[in-house]
Amino acid sequence: MQNSESNTWMQRSIPISLILMTVLAVHLPLLLLMLPLKSYDTNFHIFFASHYAHHWFNPWNTKWYAGFTQTTYPPLPQQWVALISPLFGLDLGYMAIQFVAILLLAVGVYRFSSLWVSPRAASFAALASVFLGSESFLVYSAGQLPTTFAAPIYLNALPFLFEWVRYQNWRSFLKASALFTAAAAAHHFTLLFGSFFFAIPVVVLAFMDRTDGHTVSMRACALRTVLIVAVVGVAIAIVLLPFWIALFRYPVTQVPIPHPSRANYILSPQWGLNYFVIPYGAMILALPYIILRGSTMGRLRPLLFGFWIAFLLGLGGTTPVGHWLLGRAFDVLTMERFSYWATLLALPFVGMLASELVARFRAPAAFALSILAAGTCAAAVGWVTWHPADAQDFRVNEVASWLNRDGHDNYRYVTLGFGNKLSRLSTLTDAGSVDGEWNSGRKLPELTHYGVGALTSSKYFGEAGLDSLRAMLRHADYYGLKWVIVRDHYYDPLLWFAGWRPVDYLDDKTIAIWSEDGVPPATAVNAAQIPPRWQGLMWGTLPFGSSVIAILLLLIPARKRRRILQEYPFPINEEDLAPGRLAS
Amino acid sequence: MIKGRLLAALIFAVTVLLVVVGTRWPIPSAAAYAGGEQVVRTASTPEAAVNNLCEKIRSHAWDDAYNSLADKARFSALDFQHDLVGTYPGLLTYSNLDSFEMQPLHASASEAEIRLRLKWATVVGPSVVTRQLRVVRDGDRWQVEWPIASQPPLAPQVIPVNYLRWDVIDRGAGDDWGMQNVDAPHVRIVDMHPVQRAEGTVILGELLNDDIYPAYVSVTATLLRKDQTAIASEGSFDKISHVLLPKQVTPFLIQFPDVTLADVGSVRMTPFSSLIATSADPVIEIQGQHMSPAPDASLSGQLVNQSGQVANIAHVLATFYDQTGQVVWVADQYVDRALLPQTPSPFNIHIPEDLARKIASERTVVASYSFRGAES
Repeated sequence: MQNSESNTWMQRSIPISLILMTVLAVHLPLLLLMLPLKSYDTNFHIFFASHYAHHWFNPWNTKWYAGFTQTTYPPLPQQWVALISPLFGLDLGYMAIQFVAILLLAVGVYRFSSLWVSPRAASFAALASVFLGSESFLVYSAGQLPTTFAAPIYLNALPFLFEWVRYQNWRSFLKASALFTAAAAAHHFTLLFGSFFFAIPVVVLAFMDRTDGHTVSMRACALRTVLIVAVVGVAIAIVLLPFWIALFRYPVTQVPIPHPSRANYILSPQWGLNYFVIPYGAMILALPYIILRGSTMGRLRPLLFGFWIAFLLGLGGTTPVGHWLLGRAFDVLTMERFSYWATLLALPFVGMLASELVARFRAPAAFALSILAAGTCAAAVGWVTWHPADAQDFRVNEVASWLNRDGHDNYRYVTLGFGNKLSRLSTLTDAGSVDGEWNSGRKLPELTHYGVGALTSSKYFGEAGLDSLRAMLRHADYYGLKWVIVRDHYYDPLLWFAGWRPVDYLDDKTIAIWSEDGVPPATAVNAAQIPPRWQGLMWGTLPFGSSVIAILLLLIPARKRRRILQEYPFPINEEDLAPGRLAS
Repeated sequence: MIKGRLLAALIFAVTVLLVVVGTRWPIPSAAAYAGGEQVVRTASTPEAAVNNLCEKIRSHAWDDAYNSLADKARFSALDFQHDLVGTYPGLLTYSNLDSFEMQPLHASASEAEIRLRLKWATVVGPSVVTRQLRVVRDGDRWQVEWPIASQPPLAPQVIPVNYLRWDVIDRGAGDDWGMQNVDAPHVRIVDMHPVQRAEGTVILGELLNDDIYPAYVSVTATLLRKDQTAIASEGSFDKISHVLLPKQVTPFLIQFPDVTLADVGSVRMTPFSSLIATSADPVIEIQGQHMSPAPDASLSGQLVNQSGQVANIAHVLATFYDQTGQVVWVADQYVDRALLPQTPSPFNIHIPEDLARKIASERTVVASYSFRGAES
């Protein structure tokens, strides 16, 4: 009797509530510790959110690049942070939205995996998503809220896409369309590349499954696919119209900026550790299984191909694939997001492997898998401490206070040696800078012609970086650039010989403020790029509205359908054959 | 099933093949992160040996670079590092090797001579250092003999200093620097000429501090069309000595890239001055100054730091005049080694070929920066 009970327990799916509780137990404490604040980009997204909090309907932000438009970056997660910031504050608001994204990921992985594998394997996949190295890497080390926010929305949309293409379920059509649009409003690249890696395999699966049970013609499936692509395409075109206008008027033509995710991970093993070992973690051990199972089971082949292409692109410059497939975009995009998508695509396989191992070896397998999962997650979370985005931790509050007082904010400033603290400082001060951390939003020729990132780190870009800094300092009068706030005294000789003088010292004299005499107060210099008011209204209404509509549509109950299951050519448990329906 | 296994083998093989291709022939971005296009080279030729040495210097792997030398027994690793980037902090100390060029001069089966140009990316601009290397064969590999130029240590001594110093009493750190509510020092432009050069229009001239106090100075030029509308406005940036002691003159040069002189109707010059607290220390003397005629026209000489403190970076500005005493060119050079007390340090300023023949006389001023604090 006891044995039988034990067998039943071992064959049952892990309840989604338990998986969500695991998310709560693992990630909530880390987020409450504000660990993402140490990451590369978290402060950048908080800076954008801060602007929305003060100017919801005006995307023109004067704090960077002497003025730039935030319509160059899809706004959804940042607007959600801004919306709840009156309650939580910006920092905690960011953590709250990030937490929701991780919760949604677990649900999304379960629903997406259910398309490919048994509910039990899907539940293992969802549980594995909680410990996913790439997720923790992006959340705690990279700080990529939009990517980690858009991917779960996208994953949750895919089962509806399947239901629509396969069964012509109109409720699913509406839900899929709304979720895809919301995902695009969160992160455009996720939608663009997700279409290739995630949506095409799901559509192919719907085509493959069309003869099971209720048969549908190829033509009908194709028409449904075309219809949803057209509707979603139009919806995204409208919702992100200011983004497309900005992209069309000011295409990104600046010289590409080097990024270590494009390195060869064998020739540069330190980057291999950062962009391959940490994000994949113990999943590396499952790679042979993924290839073998994906190849031998016809139904899983579309998923395997999606995974394989994302995997190769995620290897950056280790293979020439990215260079061949993406062309110039390879030198603009960062590659870690491809590894993230690859790991998400691998999760159904991982769930299947875990399910098989536990069915076969029981408690020892469960124990070993738990250790591997915990180790993967711990390494990725710890990575932010072992390999910090900014080696020197310091507070910028004193600098912000200095800029905010005595009319100093009538002039623009630039920081040197502040790393990604620039976003933090920009959030806290009213003064504007000629620098910034959103490279695609900048239009100043002194910044776009040299192929370098932020001026604050110009020395790391070699001669080009220093040329860019010198070009900017030459035009200090034009930009009203009166303050250079220096934390890295490497730059002192340049400032001295260019006629700047130290005028004040802050933070126990570790920060010097240099000034140039005769600089006139800052005036608007990019007026032609200011989006018209109607674009501001659209930007403040439609992207956020798309997420509200998606939430409302999800409240419509799904029509119950018994899922037609595939006979898998590998040993499966009774539980795997149990009929069910897609979670919604 | 067999088809599936074949597919798995194919995916595996293609992945491995792609990784091998990407590693053996890395794409440009990957090669750049790995430290150069030809990442791993055996020193089977003299050029390969020099290339490997430069790659090690580029990545600041001083010990590796030192260990690869043929004549390392003659000096220590620290001597080698100091020879490259200076014993005392100077322009090259915090710089990175940006690129290098090799010019083979002579080669035999057992040895070769190569002229090496190291281009350093410094905070004030590129700095080129040329070395002539001997490369010798040792079995099947080549090794570089480094032409070490050790700097003798300074002898302990006492150097009396007696220099002028000016202080400015202002209203405190909260004030904008230079806004002391007193009249600015009187300065005037004593010469100014627009010149058309291949890279655009250049404004040359000289500025005099006519006052009895030192002045911080800068000059801005605005080019105007014939209808008096502005074409462009630029400042002198670092092509000027910004601190002028009483009655001192500095040259200035203002560049307007992509502007043709024919389009310019007039030039509006705006000199700026304000009081500055400064001293006459360190006094830097110029010795043995002489002009070399074209071709390869240049002005060379030696700087001697007369003070007792190290001047970490020196900036030499030279003004060249024609027979009528008009300014025909302004050129400058940052000295890449720290100026040690009483120790001569060479400089060499290149002069454009077409202007060299017009030059009848020259005048040189030196500005300096010390890491212990901003000084001139």
